[in-house]
Amino acid sequence: METNPENSAVIDAADEQTQKALTFVGNILSAMGVNARVAFDGVEQSDSGHTEVKLAITGEDANVVIGKKGLVLDALQYLVSRVANRPGAPRRFFNLDADGFRANHESRLGDMAKKLALRVAKEGKVVTFDPMSARDRRVVHRALSGLEGVKTESSGEEPNRRVHIMPSAATTPAAV
Amino acid sequence: MDLKSLLEAIVQGLVDRPEEVRISEHAKDSATVLELRVARTDIGKVIGKDGRTAQSIRTVLSAAGARDQRKVHLDIVD
Repeated sequence: METNPENSAVIDAADEQTQKALTFVGNILSAMGVNARVAFDGVEQSDSGHTEVKLAITGEDANVVIGKKGLVLDALQYLVSRVANRPGAPRRFFNLDADGFRANHESRLGDMAKKLALRVAKEGKVVTFDPMSARDRRVVHRALSGLEGVKTESSGEEPNRRVHIMPSAATTPAAV
Repeated sequence: MDLKSLLEAIVQGLVDRPEEVRISEHAKDSATVLELRVARTDIGKVIGKDGRTAQSIRTVLSAAGARDQRKVHLDIVD
């Protein structure tokens, strides 16, 4: 596969932006006084083609940094990207997880999408999700890509953008 | 748990001039009020596009404060 120079660069725990991110999260965890630590957890190629650095928080207080519906984890992940990405340097994407919360959430969402897709294919009706983040919408698109009989589309404006699962033959969700 | 140190740890990472970060802390009823001052050129960095950075900072501070049943109020002074 062709990769651009930025993506072909080896990213490991010694990468400068990754170090910055790890130090930042580590400082926050110790200032919060929680029993948790953060570590580099590999890289992943996202479907939009960029390399994502995975950071994993573990420890008995991991739930504190997850928060209700993962809101605290989302806030921390956003701050990490602000801190590690300074103007001038190529943008680095970070995926911050704690005790597998994000991974579990995405696997449940993908499973649910597959179940709903079977129903859409069988009954020929369109199923529409509640508004979700770009990341979660992507999970649905990806889970159902290549599945016979259904297709996925998003409509609406952020933060109210929704994914629709519809029969392959259906027209755009705007008409639904 | 020291909210002031937590805010400091967050903001030091965001700004270009960490030496100009000033934080004062006082209690108001059951809340802790944190007043944050940064270099004029760094204000945008702690507020962020559509206030998203400030919102994220507040979310993390509130989570930390909740462990001690403290509400946290963050004032960004400009």
